Amino acid sequence: MRNETREYKFDWMLWNTFAAASRLKNGTQKEYQAMLKYIPYFKRIMETLLGTGEPGQKFIEICSKYLENLVFAKEKGKKTAITTFCFSPAIFYAMDIIPICLEVLTVMMTFMYKRGTAEFLDYCNEVGSTETSCSSQRGAIGAYLAGIGADIDMFVTDTPGVCDTNANAFSFASAYLNKPFFQLDMPPDLTGERSNEYHREDFKALICFLEGQTGKRLDPERLKENLRELAKQDEIIAELEDLARIVPSPVPVLYNLMVSASKFLFAGMPEGTSLLESMLRIARENAAKNISGLSGGVEKLRAFFCYIDHYAQNMQFWQMLDGNGICYQGNILSHFWSNNAPHVAYYHKEEVAYTIDMTDIDSLIDSLAMINSRMPMIKSIRGPYDAPNMWLEDTLGLAKLYSADLIVYNGTPGCRNTWGMVKLLARDTEKAGYPTYIMYADAFDVRVQSWEATEERFMEFLKVRRLV
Amino acid sequence: MIKEFFEASTALNNKYVTQWKKNGKKVVGYTCSYVPDEVFHAAGILPFRIRGFGATDTTIGDTYFGPFICSLPKCMLQLAGEGKFNFLDGAIITPGCDSMRRLDECWRKAGSDVEGVIPSFFFHYGVPHKYADYTIKWLTDETWRLIAAVEKHFKVKITDVDLKKSIKLYNYSRKLLDRFEALRTLDAPPFSGEEALAVILAGTTMPREEYNVLLEQFIAKAEKSPGIKGRVRLMLVGSANDDVGLVRVMEGEKAIVVADNLCFGSRFYSDQVDEEGDPVFELSRRYLGHNDCPRMYGDYRRRLKILAQKVEKAKIDGVIMQNIRFCDLHGSENGLFERDLEAKGIPCMRLEREYGPLVETGRMKMRVDAFIERIKQRRAIA
Repeated sequence: MRNETREYKFDWMLWNTFAAASRLKNGTQKEYQAMLKYIPYFKRIMETLLGTGEPGQKFIEICSKYLENLVFAKEKGKKTAITTFCFSPAIFYAMDIIPICLEVLTVMMTFMYKRGTAEFLDYCNEVGSTETSCSSQRGAIGAYLAGIGADIDMFVTDTPGVCDTNANAFSFASAYLNKPFFQLDMPPDLTGERSNEYHREDFKALICFLEGQTGKRLDPERLKENLRELAKQDEIIAELEDLARIVPSPVPVLYNLMVSASKFLFAGMPEGTSLLESMLRIARENAAKNISGLSGGVEKLRAFFCYIDHYAQNMQFWQMLDGNGICYQGNILSHFWSNNAPHVAYYHKEEVAYTIDMTDIDSLIDSLAMINSRMPMIKSIRGPYDAPNMWLEDTLGLAKLYSADLIVYNGTPGCRNTWGMVKLLARDTEKAGYPTYIMYADAFDVRVQSWEATEERFMEFLKVRRLV
Repeated sequence: MIKEFFEASTALNNKYVTQWKKNGKKVVGYTCSYVPDEVFHAAGILPFRIRGFGATDTTIGDTYFGPFICSLPKCMLQLAGEGKFNFLDGAIITPGCDSMRRLDECWRKAGSDVEGVIPSFFFHYGVPHKYADYTIKWLTDETWRLIAAVEKHFKVKITDVDLKKSIKLYNYSRKLLDRFEALRTLDAPPFSGEEALAVILAGTTMPREEYNVLLEQFIAKAEKSPGIKGRVRLMLVGSANDDVGLVRVMEGEKAIVVADNLCFGSRFYSDQVDEEGDPVFELSRRYLGHNDCPRMYGDYRRRLKILAQKVEKAKIDGVIMQNIRFCDLHGSENGLFERDLEAKGIPCMRLEREYGPLVETGRMKMRVDAFIERIKQRRAIA
């Protein structure tokens, strides 16, 4: 790692970047335009985000707020927990712990900085982690391993049973830094009394762990407040998902990322709700006018991504979709499983959905356990991909619900789980009538395959399959 | 006698399996050391550890698995696709790691493409990743589910009495292997690391009663052996290795592998099953409790302690930490072991490899020789 990189705490730098970005629009349009020439590396990402109007501005603001919280956590006497995107942060907020989500930080750096997270990715390898480990964790964890991040108190993950490389990154980093570690383990079955009981007991053990780390008891009133806000967020997301079914979809392409961000950063917190409300307002307006959310106004194709996005600098992935009139119908990360989600009603999957029950402390804990066990990825790729309620069923169900014309897989070479069966999944989805494209890129590291090459291959697929 | 062990460990359908099948008895394969052999033994079925040994390419494996996957399950699928596991009447897949658990779907898909590739009994045994009262309960229930499935499919009855007998037999085997392990760590070990691995591997591929008899004889003979002296003492840790040839390459003429921490090696027989309690519960407790595999997340310190104790006991000169490419669990933990053991003055070498035919022999040999050279120089300075 270069000495220059070690000069500043990376998360402090990132916070400053987002904080400055959040103020860009404070002046007049003329002042904003004048400012852009002084930030050549950030000009495109700013235009992309702020081009979405108020939601883009709010998105930057919540990213900034999230980073501010973690950078100043110690000054405010709060504990910090390194966690993962598919772990609902609701419990942390309820216990006054600041969550530090590795993948979110990696994504922020990847789309914001020209250099991405390359030095941190490589630093992980320098200190012993394998180069084949998932880049989504390595990107940010490298900085913490190098000691250039905020102080960490504990590591908490919920991917054992779902994603080895994710769980392993947490296990490795906690051992390397000698910090407490807790895992929520996921059995291969999602539903049924055995699994429910397992999730419940595991979550109770988590609460004991967190109480031990913070020295504070879980406050049921605070948790209720948090879950009330979460339920509100779920309702907004459900309406956004419903709107996305309309042809043309009134939902702009970037909204999927913003939905995930609101849940991964601020589940159950007003900051997340505010972003979602802003998105919903615009989507409703578009729907009322029967116009597409695409900036060109013409919807040529509807694509469902069965795994994750591509986070290359400047959000080129979303720009590509938008520029080509491809309506983005979301991915595994942007669809949640609350009981009011349209896909739950549409596919009669009530038993796989979570319900928020605030009757007493036990039902609160049960609700949290259910929410967590049904987070994106945790729900769909824990068991055999072709088992009930798992990846194939979800992919086909969502593709059908959103009238997708094609299905695309994009991930990282570090994903042992999905690379273990994505060829089989693609065979099945093709058989079901969906042209299916497997991207061989790394969503978090363009050194594996440049964005330009990734885009060219994707467009070639569309041409070969006569989709454009 | 060692010939018997070598034969059993280097041929998939070895003479013991052939004889077993000739007698009209069933064989069930499993992919991970977290599966309790005793359940099958109690049902009169031969438990057989599925391996990828002998695969000479991975064309079939690559058809189903993606490119960024460990070559061990690919080789297993390759052998299955080539009909080399046709002697299996059943197979148990566990979530040992992500690559291995996806063997479930890949094998099933291959089975739907080509008739006869998949055994008629195919079972996913869900093993938790942590050790707690509720995870033991889960595994106990899972073991009951396995027992019920075996009983139904093979039309057998597995009683508590049968299970207890099997537990006793396997515990005796583990005791013998402890004696075997003690011999291995003598100043002049009576057998090489290659031979040791052959002995251990044979236990995963042949009937336990016969194995115990052979093992008793082997130990009795080994106890009288003058032993091998003057070699650099190595320990081999990391990803699964079921190839005695790999150990042979590492040992060469200058070294001897006197200890290991491999799941096809000593991890497979550590710890006894309690013979007093409920057999299914005790089996689950023992199998889940041996946390030597990095799949049991967050337990690194315990594993480091075990490793350090083994290093001390076996008077190890150097530790070779190998991992199969894409095995992030062992690969990363090897990085931690290297840091912590080197800090204690124990020379370590990390080696990434592909599973399968020893096509990288030259490279590996050169690196191991350089490592031995380093150890010798260190000794000379000391």
